[in-house]
Amino acid sequence: MNWALIFSNGLYAAVSANAVAYMLIASGLNVHFGNTGLLNFGQAGFAAVGAYGIAIPVSQYHWNPFAAMLVILVGAVLLAVGVGLLTLRLRSDYLAIVTIAIAEIIRIFVNGDHFKWLTGGNDGLQGFTRWMENASPFSTNGVKIWAQKIDGYRLWLLVSGWILLGIIATALYLLIRSPWGRVLKGIREDEDAVRSLGKNVFAFKMQSLVLGGVVGAIGGMWLVLDKQSAQPGDFATTLTFFAYTMIILGGVAKVKGPIIGAMMFLFLFTWVDSFLREATKTSAGKKPVLPKWLITDNNYAQVKYIFAGVVLAILVAFRPQGIFGDKKEQAFDVR
Amino acid sequence: MNRTHIRLIVRIWLGLMAIVGVALSASSAANAQDTGGTITVNVFNQTKDAKGVATKVAVPGVTIKVSDDTGAAITSGATDAAGEVVLKVPTQTKFNLDLDVATLPKGVVLASGQTEKAVVDFTVGAGIGANKSYNYFLGKDDRLTTGRFKLLLQTLVNGVKSSAVLAICCIGLSLIYGTTGLSNFAHGEIVTLGAIVTWLLNQEGPKLHLLLAAPFGIAASALAGMGLERGVWRPLRKRGISLTSMMIMSIGIAIAVRYVYVFMLNSKFNRAVYYRQYHAQPEWSIGPIGINERDVIVIVLSVAVILAVCYFLLRTRQGKAIRAVSDNPDLASATGINTNKIILMVWALGGGLAGLGGVMFGAAHGLQWDTGFNLLLLLFAAITVGGLGNPFGALVGAVIVGMATELWTWVFPSFLEYKNAAALGALIITLIIRPQGILGRKERLG
Repeated sequence: MNWALIFSNGLYAAVSANAVAYMLIASGLNVHFGNTGLLNFGQAGFAAVGAYGIAIPVSQYHWNPFAAMLVILVGAVLLAVGVGLLTLRLRSDYLAIVTIAIAEIIRIFVNGDHFKWLTGGNDGLQGFTRWMENASPFSTNGVKIWAQKIDGYRLWLLVSGWILLGIIATALYLLIRSPWGRVLKGIREDEDAVRSLGKNVFAFKMQSLVLGGVVGAIGGMWLVLDKQSAQPGDFATTLTFFAYTMIILGGVAKVKGPIIGAMMFLFLFTWVDSFLREATKTSAGKKPVLPKWLITDNNYAQVKYIFAGVVLAILVAFRPQGIFGDKKEQAFDVR
Repeated sequence: MNRTHIRLIVRIWLGLMAIVGVALSASSAANAQDTGGTITVNVFNQTKDAKGVATKVAVPGVTIKVSDDTGAAITSGATDAAGEVVLKVPTQTKFNLDLDVATLPKGVVLASGQTEKAVVDFTVGAGIGANKSYNYFLGKDDRLTTGRFKLLLQTLVNGVKSSAVLAICCIGLSLIYGTTGLSNFAHGEIVTLGAIVTWLLNQEGPKLHLLLAAPFGIAASALAGMGLERGVWRPLRKRGISLTSMMIMSIGIAIAVRYVYVFMLNSKFNRAVYYRQYHAQPEWSIGPIGINERDVIVIVLSVAVILAVCYFLLRTRQGKAIRAVSDNPDLASATGINTNKIILMVWALGGGLAGLGGVMFGAAHGLQWDTGFNLLLLLFAAITVGGLGNPFGALVGAVIVGMATELWTWVFPSFLEYKNAAALGALIITLIIRPQGILGRKERLG
């Protein structure tokens, strides 16, 4: 058992560029769900807009990446407005189903063979990260911290990602504390009361959708920059549900909630996986640490998902406000 | 003649064509030039007679465009009377061919497995030299020759089949929503459980006949539903946990259970698995419609079960009690109905029906660890379109969703893979026009 590797894998997963991407996706969702009480089950769709918004223009049409970021911004705003127009007048359980449907339509579209010339279909898109690699100030050899090797590109994404996250989280923190954010909380607690104060609830909900959607799209972009490949499978509904798990783990409606939650989730998720990989490894002449009838190197990889599902279910049942959340702020009574 | 035969013939055909193609490329290699290269493109129409003997006919007048690696157009040309066009290219590198589908004669399309775009690379493959050749094979456009109308009949039959399976699966989802308010995201896993237990008894272990194994699968699903109700949902309702929490919990349970299936059956479920019976059955032709024994059983059985469920809900005491709890749980319990008992019954009924639906779906399309999960969105689309919580609405919704997916393949035959998106699109459109669903009651909106 290589304990150093198991723990360093877990710790790296909690702070890596991939983690930053999840934090952004979950932060956006937290604006919808935690702050406004909108049960958005389609966050994966916003992340997909960010991912393919950078991948298609840069990889297929050799655009300037900053122009592609404008595409992401416009795309995410349009998607949010579209989702809002379709769903905001519906009851919240309808809203959940419709948002999940829209996200799936986006995934089916980018996965389909018919638009392979545009989206790469099932193979996904590659080769859109050169500009980011060129911008990296670190040597491509990267660094080795404890048992973890981090290449220069990932290190650069990690550092720049945390700076980006810091800026976005600060902005969200200030926005949520502002009068605007307090109206959102009011909508979450009692929509009719806010309406009776003369606020345009629909407009506020729409603004919340746009804000969270754009943040989620930036997260999606970071996710594919880290993977160096945009794959439709990464934007299935599981992404949305993992984002929910992160929010609830860290604390609903707090800006730090999804950040801490994502760190905890990804540490545990990766730790379990690394531990089981080591424990089921069959090296020459040695028996694996765990007995073969229980678990093998063929099926250990499923355990982390089982674990994630169980964590989500148990958290919601027994500590819905999350580890660091405030019981008064939990958003589960949305109607 | 059944589908397997046709497939075999098509395969032999393609094999023959490949040999012809190689021979042609060898012959045209003699005309090679020194600078740059040429790409010889042949377009053939392959037809076969009743015995499956194939003949090929050259197709003239089809435009082929050539572009280089960056997508810039290089040259283009139309095939001559021999169905051939020779295109000169400046370098011996990689080029993209694009057949202009609009220039094809009426009634033919590219043969299956052929696309209008192709890549010709001078640097790789057999016959390295200044000439490369590529063959396009066309086939009879079956859709056009069988006629859109006849195809519509077949599509409608397929739609009835899809609708029947969806309806069986989603009655439970709808009843559970109606009586408890829970959008149960773990319903797909109950569907999968019935199919998996049946498969285990059918293909592994005792190797029972499918019709004997299915009741065990259905029972397993019913028990799983009851177990979830007694073990998870009832205690949580007692603690007064909100519906949103319970919905998100059901998502967690669904993820966990789904991966338990893969964990336990990983080695066997890499790809779709099938039951020993009712798989790849010969089709009976009834006029323009092709249907097999399995599909007839699925349709007849579903209709019978749906009618039985409707009778149960409308005419029996227990069924009326279910609808009463659905309408107003507090009022129902005030009139002496044991709400918890009714809800437990709903879980047993809904779970069992989901298991039956899973077996039907598995028999028709094969079974995977995420079969139920893939169906789940269609099920939610069906009950939402019909009106959440109304079991009769769920039936209407299942027909709309099932028909929408199949009709999509009729209207847009080349966009097959988007048919599930069509169902979700139908959901969105219905909700714009009628936000409470077709049979739903109007409630507070916005």
